[in-house]
Amino acid sequence: MIENYILMHKGGQEEYRDSVFVNYSHALTMAILYLPTEAEFSVADEASVQALVQASSKMRFTDLSESIYPILTNLRNYMLIRIDDNTITIERHGKVFAYIVQNGELKMLPNGKTSLEDGDRVICCTNEFKRCLNDLAILSDAVVSDSAEEWMDNMVCRISDKNRLSEGNLTAVTMIVRSGD
Amino acid sequence: MQTSFADLPVLHGLILPAVILFVLTTAVFIWFSVVYVKKGGFGHPDDNELYIDCAWFCEIGKRPSQQDSVYISPLQDYHKYGITALVADGMGGMEFGGEISEKVAGFVENMCPMSFFASEQNADELRRFSNVLYEEYNLSGGSTLAMVHITGNFMNYYSVGDSDIILVRNGTPTILNPRQNYMALLIKSLCRNNKQTQTAYSNPKARSLVDFMGNKNPRVIYTKKPIRIFDGDKIIVSSDGLTDAVSLRNLTRYLKDTAASTAVELKHAVAARKRPKQDNYTAIVFTVKRSLL
Repeated sequence: MIENYILMHKGGQEEYRDSVFVNYSHALTMAILYLPTEAEFSVADEASVQALVQASSKMRFTDLSESIYPILTNLRNYMLIRIDDNTITIERHGKVFAYIVQNGELKMLPNGKTSLEDGDRVICCTNEFKRCLNDLAILSDAVVSDSAEEWMDNMVCRISDKNRLSEGNLTAVTMIVRSGD
Repeated sequence: MQTSFADLPVLHGLILPAVILFVLTTAVFIWFSVVYVKKGGFGHPDDNELYIDCAWFCEIGKRPSQQDSVYISPLQDYHKYGITALVADGMGGMEFGGEISEKVAGFVENMCPMSFFASEQNADELRRFSNVLYEEYNLSGGSTLAMVHITGNFMNYYSVGDSDIILVRNGTPTILNPRQNYMALLIKSLCRNNKQTQTAYSNPKARSLVDFMGNKNPRVIYTKKPIRIFDGDKIIVSSDGLTDAVSLRNLTRYLKDTAASTAVELKHAVAARKRPKQDNYTAIVFTVKRSLL
């Protein structure tokens, strides 16, 4: 089981423009779209991505990636994630990052498959979220937290200390691998 | 006619020093090679042979009494049990703050040597001791707790309240432990409502503790998995008397190569600020270095 918590905060902006689409079928599939203020992205394209993610439960990850790529060519900043059995597969484009806590360190997840174990902690986030935190802060908050929500709350406090949540949209997903169903 | 070495007095005199030099050089080469192979190369991140240099200070500031307490486990036990270090900051304005912080330090001393791999049980013991304090003092006092346990190249930490555990890596200081104060709750609430958080910082009760030793069933924050430490890291466990006087941004100015000189610099930095209401200030400083032996 993957416990997850999604932060979608508008920050100091008029509206929340990033997007997170999730499909909780037998495999967890997720798309995180990061729209810095200068980026343009149509509502129709956003809806197309959402529809693809929703219909992705029986789709291979590579097929999903190939279907989404033409829609998001101009966006440049997005990430596709699939967690299936004991593996996480990611495809990162631009300034959306994924990290895993392993052996007392925070390591950036490479594109492709990575095996997961019980208790592993993974974070996927946009550059706007990450730039306010260093690796040690993310790591420390991860290893003391009982839940994905608590991990996120602790990191939000750190970001708040720096900018009072008054800058760009904040988008991140924290995930903890739990044994059992 | 044949000539033997014995017939060459100059050469004969050089043989013995040359042999000794050769043997010594070979021995040193073999020793370095063995150490290098054993460690997987000097400076390898998996190096287990880190050693810890430690120093501390505990100053009264402008307060009438010392309410901070410190405990550091015996350094000679480092290779067997690691090192445990605690700062407990008695809550100011409460009658038994100092007494409780002393009791917390005494309790941790009795817990040592503690298992590095039983952080959950250790946290439970601390929580149960807080309940004992609650029964005894009935909230007429309290204390924070900031404690690190370092073994090899890994560190666990435990925290209740708002004392600081700071790890300085590559010149960047990071407070590791989340603060258990009202401000954190306000920020959480504002964030849930998609709001900015300026109001949390202007709230007069923002720094009030929501958890402390002496409270009933406090939440003891602890590392479920240890954090890796590296050669060159510096760890500072301190009461807020230090971090209120020296901001995290300025902290790096006072970091020196050894723990003792860093502790002296930090102590002088706080004193130099001459803050009229300077709280008790206490810190334990560790520098982490790789051992060649």
